[in-house]
Amino acid sequence: MIKSQATLVYRITLAVLFLLLAGALFRLQVVKGKDFQRIAESNFVRIRRITATRGEIYDHKYRPIAQNVPSHNLYLTSGKIRNLPALSRFLERNFAIPQAELHNLVLKQRFKTYEEILLADNIPYETMLILSEQLNYYPELSFRIGSSRNYMYPNHFTGYMGRINEDEYELYRAENYSLNSYIGKTGLERYYEVLLRGRDGREIVQVDAQGRSLNLFDPAGNIEPLNGLSLVLTIDNDLQEFVSNTFPAGMNGAIVVSDIRSGGILAYVSKPDYDPNLFMHKITPDIWATLNRAEKPMLDRIIHASYPPGSVFKPLTAALGLDSGIVTPYTRLASCVGGMKIGNRFFKCWNSGGHGSNNVIDALRVSCDVYFYDLSLKMNLDSFLGYAKDSHFYAKTGIDLPNERRGFFPSIAWYRKTYGKHASILGHKVNLAIGQGEVLTTPIQMNAFYGAIANNGLWTQPHLLKQTVGRGRLTREQVMPLAKNRLPMKPLTLQTIQQGLWAVVNAPGGTGANAKVNGGTVFGKSGSAENAMGRTTHAWFCAYLLTSKPEIVVTVFLENAGGGGAMAAPITARIFNYYIGNLENIKKVTPLPSQFRTAEDVDPVPEEIDTEPTEPETPAENTTTPTGAQSSD
Amino acid sequence: MINRKKFDFTLLALLATLIFLGCIAIFSASTTMIGDQMSIQNNWWKQIIFAFLAFGAIALLLKLPMPIFDIVVIPLFVLNIIALVLVLFTPAVNGSHRWFSLGGINLQPSESAKLLTILMVARIISKEHLNEYRQILYGFLIVLLPVSLIMIEPDFGTTLVFWASLLAMLIAAEVPLFFILLMVSPIVSVVSSVWWPAIPIWLIILICLLLKSGLSWVTITVSAIANVFIAFITPVFWMGLKDYQQNRILTFLDPTRDPLGAGYQIIQAKIAIGSGSMFGKGWLLGTQKNMNFLPEHHTDFIFSVVGEEFGFIGSIFLLAIFAAFFSRIIRNANDLKIKERKVAASGIMAYLMLQTFINIGMNIGLVPATGIPLPFISYGGSNLLINAISVGVILKYLNERGFIK
Repeated sequence: MIKSQATLVYRITLAVLFLLLAGALFRLQVVKGKDFQRIAESNFVRIRRITATRGEIYDHKYRPIAQNVPSHNLYLTSGKIRNLPALSRFLERNFAIPQAELHNLVLKQRFKTYEEILLADNIPYETMLILSEQLNYYPELSFRIGSSRNYMYPNHFTGYMGRINEDEYELYRAENYSLNSYIGKTGLERYYEVLLRGRDGREIVQVDAQGRSLNLFDPAGNIEPLNGLSLVLTIDNDLQEFVSNTFPAGMNGAIVVSDIRSGGILAYVSKPDYDPNLFMHKITPDIWATLNRAEKPMLDRIIHASYPPGSVFKPLTAALGLDSGIVTPYTRLASCVGGMKIGNRFFKCWNSGGHGSNNVIDALRVSCDVYFYDLSLKMNLDSFLGYAKDSHFYAKTGIDLPNERRGFFPSIAWYRKTYGKHASILGHKVNLAIGQGEVLTTPIQMNAFYGAIANNGLWTQPHLLKQTVGRGRLTREQVMPLAKNRLPMKPLTLQTIQQGLWAVVNAPGGTGANAKVNGGTVFGKSGSAENAMGRTTHAWFCAYLLTSKPEIVVTVFLENAGGGGAMAAPITARIFNYYIGNLENIKKVTPLPSQFRTAEDVDPVPEEIDTEPTEPETPAENTTTPTGAQSSD
Repeated sequence: MINRKKFDFTLLALLATLIFLGCIAIFSASTTMIGDQMSIQNNWWKQIIFAFLAFGAIALLLKLPMPIFDIVVIPLFVLNIIALVLVLFTPAVNGSHRWFSLGGINLQPSESAKLLTILMVARIISKEHLNEYRQILYGFLIVLLPVSLIMIEPDFGTTLVFWASLLAMLIAAEVPLFFILLMVSPIVSVVSSVWWPAIPIWLIILICLLLKSGLSWVTITVSAIANVFIAFITPVFWMGLKDYQQNRILTFLDPTRDPLGAGYQIIQAKIAIGSGSMFGKGWLLGTQKNMNFLPEHHTDFIFSVVGEEFGFIGSIFLLAIFAAFFSRIIRNANDLKIKERKVAASGIMAYLMLQTFINIGMNIGLVPATGIPLPFISYGGSNLLINAISVGVILKYLNERGFIK
């Protein structure tokens, strides 16, 4: 057989290439085999995630609300497990991890056996000391320091964090979460997860069992984590504490205090409340039962529940009457004789003694139902719905918290669908006029509505975030612009309503006399809403305070507490008194704490003025500029 | 269908052995031990199904009449080029457009393009009336078509294989060796410029080889000067590159510069293979494999499992089988008398051999990481099928050859 030149070239190439491979293999496996065996036994070359430090949450004076605290965590590397039954006994005895749960955890990550699984967090220091010695028998287990959250006080706005679950892991797959990650589950922790979280880094771990570097790689290739942004809220911790303490013990309800011009919430209290720190530990069945008791401490009554508003809704009815020209501020309507006969039904007024014939201001002052019954007879239901929608009573307010509930206001079509085509809606309409029947609102909607009346008709989206600090400084406007809309009220209407609200508190016979304070003018409206939850009415009081300029708007809502004027108004007065007493203190501008300052911050005080978000949008109608209020103090 | 006198049973047996060894390695790569519990991913039986399909495909190929086989090459090549264009419009997977996803099966048109391009080039450059220049030019142009499309995907590693096959085919087509030498010399010059003492050594080797080919002094002088020029211009060109471009090339050449990416995989493969030591840790007992440090150890890094579990002895055994297999193909190519078939067989041999070398070399840190699977061993149905069919083509040529003298 003749061997061609080509065959020779091929054979030489084959020989050279394979001798190269064989030589390299010999060097790797025979000459250096022992070294690599040592590295392999220690299993110490791997990529490790460096968790970014989560942003913290502060009140508007940079006082902490949610902080990071170190936590002792227990991790498992499933690829190193030698004796699974022994391990599961150990874990069940010391950490109450059931065998089934362990098997499930291990199986879920069975093809990533080198990755550490977080088994337990917030392990008490003593427990860790005792168990550290026993850990020698379980090379698959290791203690490391991680980070956990500490919430300063029970509340409903911060929410809490928790271990990422499978659904969330699938959902945010592209976002670089690990199965050990924590994620905001509710409240601000969830709403601002993206800002708070930052970005995890990566490092190559290359040390042997003795802790010596193997020098396989240049450590310069590691990726540093980017820490999360810290949130500065509009909340004032002192006021929040006062409001929380002044809340009548044993009652259920909610109080919202917000700044009239910025729309920022100063205090956010829903009772009963719960301690978010509970969720940072394993929830025992006892705690779980407490959290789910009949009073529903987990329910955020400010945004997650909607209630019949009762008489606090009347300013809206009155405003529509004035705006559509049905009445003037001086028009007196049907005389109240403790009620009014409409069709063949007698609609009662809350005061069986009767109020006589009233104009709109007096009707608000004494909260006469009959005036509004009579007014509603001349109103069209769908225009009523449109007016309520324009006043932000239908849609969500867009507060920066997850799962906000919207209010409800029925339309003609809704009645037709619910009660049949030929049902009379007259009786329903009469009830809606006094905020009863089908209409439902959340306390936050009410707060924003009264805030808008106080702010000369400019409705501002209620919000908690003022700015971020830390790695990046963003104002609320930069994070997400605030929605600002005018209420549908004409200027004269607005003035009349304001006069009515003034009369409620300050004129003789007003239902809100209990809310009167020295040192400022209070405008307000009481409400006692009949409801399906119990025989006693819900007590409402919505009020705002003017000193030399508009200050705060307070909404007090108490479930089944009785009359708004008697039960809710005194609480409002206490809050106003506290606010007036601490006015200087609350409004004082706090300089940016040094840990948040960067090289650009030569003078931190001008920075503070820059971050005031409301200035550009404030309309000319306001007699004073908001920044003046902030910086002059 | 099989002509007992002409058919190469040895080659078929070697092929079957390789595929069988592949299945054993993939089974091991699919298992994970946690404590004494073993969990298995379902790759390995898919591979067994594809192994049977591969042998079925070879049988069908052998049955196919030779004239039909000859006719379908050109239309299939055209279809394949169209597929390569279409694949660019698919959604990107890991940043490149390589796969058609059809009901859970991923088709990679660049796989079939290798075989069809080889057959196509063999067809064209084996024509009787062509001189050397035209052979080189036509071969170059045909290969450029799929290569440029694959570069767009982008899949740089695969394109290397095309050029290597072209060289092998030109050699088989009896293009004088000094042409090949002149074609390759600029590349060697660029590489030698990295370390300046290499330049004169390389020049002396080049001049000796050219002298031996009996070229005129003029040609030798011109090519030597050209190569010196290239060797000296390369550093200048290198300095002109932007930092990130330099980094990208350096990281390709030295993956340890990127410890969180390719470098991590290389070092884990090296630790696994090295810790296999002389005799290995035993089948299914690889600790590094078990920790799943390498996310894809059943595909591109399958050799790390072999090296870890069967040690140096096992790795050399596998290398020996591969060497015997290629040696057998080289002998067969020599036996083929029709030029087109000889050229095609050489091309197939070169592409399989280069993939084997690159893949194993990558696993042991000898060559840069370029996602090329190990033929017949790595997990991957379409890859196994195409490689087996390529060998089937050689078997068919042998089966169909004229009388043995």
